[in-house]
Amino acid sequence: MEQLTLLMEGFSNALTPMNLLWVVIGAVLGTAVGVLPGLGSAMAVALLLPITFSLDPTAAFIMFAGVYYGGLFGDSTSGILLNTPGNSSAIASTFEGHRMALDGRAAKALATAAVGAFTGGLLATTVVVFFAPTLVRMATAFGPAEYFALAVFAFLAISSVVSESVVKGLVALGIGLVLAMVGVDGPSGTIRYTLGMPQLFDGLSIVVITVGLLALGEVFHIASRIHRDPEATRVKTKGRPRLNLADIKKALPAWLRGTAFGVPFGVIPAGGAEVPTFLAYGTEKRLAKRRGDTEFGTTGSIKGVAAPEAAANATAGTAMGALLALGLPTSATAAIMLAAFQQYGMQPGPLLFERSGALVWTLLASLFVGLVILVVLNMQFAVLWAKLLLIPRHYLYAGIAVLSVLGVYAISSSVVDLWILLAIGLLGFMMRRYKFPLAPVLIAVILGPLAETELRRALTVSEGDLSILVDSPVTITLYAVLAIALAISAVQHLRHRARSRSSAVKLDDDELVGA
Amino acid sequence: MSATETNTVRITGFWSGRSELIVPALVLVLAGFLTYGTATMEVLGNSVPGPQFFPTIVCVLLYVVAFAHAFQVLRTRRFPDADDDGRGAEVSSEMLSDLGDTADGRITTRSGTRPRATGRPQAFSDWKTLGMVVGAVALFNLMLPVAGWILAATVLFWVVCRALGSKRPLFDLSVSLLFASAVQLAFNAGLGLNLPAGFLEGLL
Repeated sequence: MEQLTLLMEGFSNALTPMNLLWVVIGAVLGTAVGVLPGLGSAMAVALLLPITFSLDPTAAFIMFAGVYYGGLFGDSTSGILLNTPGNSSAIASTFEGHRMALDGRAAKALATAAVGAFTGGLLATTVVVFFAPTLVRMATAFGPAEYFALAVFAFLAISSVVSESVVKGLVALGIGLVLAMVGVDGPSGTIRYTLGMPQLFDGLSIVVITVGLLALGEVFHIASRIHRDPEATRVKTKGRPRLNLADIKKALPAWLRGTAFGVPFGVIPAGGAEVPTFLAYGTEKRLAKRRGDTEFGTTGSIKGVAAPEAAANATAGTAMGALLALGLPTSATAAIMLAAFQQYGMQPGPLLFERSGALVWTLLASLFVGLVILVVLNMQFAVLWAKLLLIPRHYLYAGIAVLSVLGVYAISSSVVDLWILLAIGLLGFMMRRYKFPLAPVLIAVILGPLAETELRRALTVSEGDLSILVDSPVTITLYAVLAIALAISAVQHLRHRARSRSSAVKLDDDELVGA
Repeated sequence: MSATETNTVRITGFWSGRSELIVPALVLVLAGFLTYGTATMEVLGNSVPGPQFFPTIVCVLLYVVAFAHAFQVLRTRRFPDADDDGRGAEVSSEMLSDLGDTADGRITTRSGTRPRATGRPQAFSDWKTLGMVVGAVALFNLMLPVAGWILAATVLFWVVCRALGSKRPLFDLSVSLLFASAVQLAFNAGLGLNLPAGFLEGLL
């Protein structure tokens, strides 16, 4: 097996003392941002990007590997203890996890979550190691039309199929596409939408956009709500997270089922781990009902924590595979990782394995190393991590505000970038205020240039004949699957609308105005 | 549950529950800018399709979604849900509740809360705090080239702390100064990146 030799070489690179240090730093940072509600690995990588510029790419990516998985380990901690999940990927494990905590089994819930995240990540990363070369071989046959189809698939899946409101998702997508078009157009050299400012000729930096949307936007959002929202109350944990044999016996099938849900979803651009975690949670709930399990929904079931946690990390694992082999980001975090590669002048996709093979295999090996470190960090020090929640929120967000401006200033030492950051931060606030999804903006910013270039390339080859876009089995399949998914989600939206309309309170405007 | 209390909404005029119209308005401005930019573009080269091709598609998309969104907001007033932290927008909560078999609970938004014309007037967003934080970032941008990193970052940190409700101004000041100096040190010494020293240059 060729992959195993390559992976072993990767391990030998990843296990040097210096690189081990980077994984540990990444894992600590990742867990920390995961534990803190509202912050996630996407934001952490975006803030770290400019700071890691002076490192060599291998060290930087090894650190990002720790951050990438760390966020998913940490997010369940605040969910279990506070009932406020650190990230949307932990909502599903919060249901049963918090019930367990209230029942006095917080330590057990934390341990189940940590081992679940480890199992999911481990199995998914293994799948990636064995299937990445197959994906690469598939992707080398892709032409412009196929890449364009892939981009359209990602755009519409994230903005329309899974989003709360199709219109809001498309608005977000459109904003992202506009942001991506600023600057000099690659193929022709034409200057576009720069308002004549030479600082914008290179386009808006992806770092500025992500830090603005995810970090500064979050600070603004918190500012607008901090004096309004009540504080969450914390459940005290006692003892070290331990699982006895009986617990493991109970949780093991759930971990495996969760992983099975997560693995395929990593390759589908469905916006991340929400869909598979809820699928896994729902399955456990239905199974519990059939078995007559009374713990579920009352005192908290260990299975209801195990399955979604495994699913979340399994999704992240295969998402990394799709990113490396196809260059397709399937979630916001994967999109930032793609941006990280571009910052270092590398383009994920089939060519990456050829050109920077050593880096790719070191990265994959450090994903394994990171998982081991993370499971130790989270099992042994879970109570310590929960202490992070004691940091006063004003210091935390003041720190994030300072790190945001630092990161943006560090990339190009330009004050213009800082004003753009402020504007994008306000955009991020507005989108949060009116409940617009942020993921479509990030995906559009990152895949927008690819979509445009490939579309133009395809049409140049065909001399304007649009049929080239649906000319191959791959493109036909992609568009067909997309059409089916859109149809299903349309039915879903209509059904829910009919239901909520029949139960809604009838309002009469005239009666209320000035009453 | 006090949800009905916190969810009290008031309808006092046309704009109640319609402030969201600012989004389609801004999207239309953006689309207008894009239209103008595309029409007046100095195209280099003669490749077909050229650099105006893709922007035209995006432009049409923006006009369509802006009008569709404005129409939706005009038809149904939308009030923010005080229980919601604004982070659930990425994935449809309806779909998740179907998948997860969670009929009730936090992921499904409550429907049918009756708006009231009375009640304590309180904006959903705390504009004063937000204004202070936004102002602090703007102030930082203005100060950085003149006063240097340490002073500008200290002010930013301190103002954000104050805005977010810290009660110990002097202690905060030392925390801010410490944080800003630590970053400066780490950057200049550790990573070799230069942050502006401002007029303190030479003194430090």
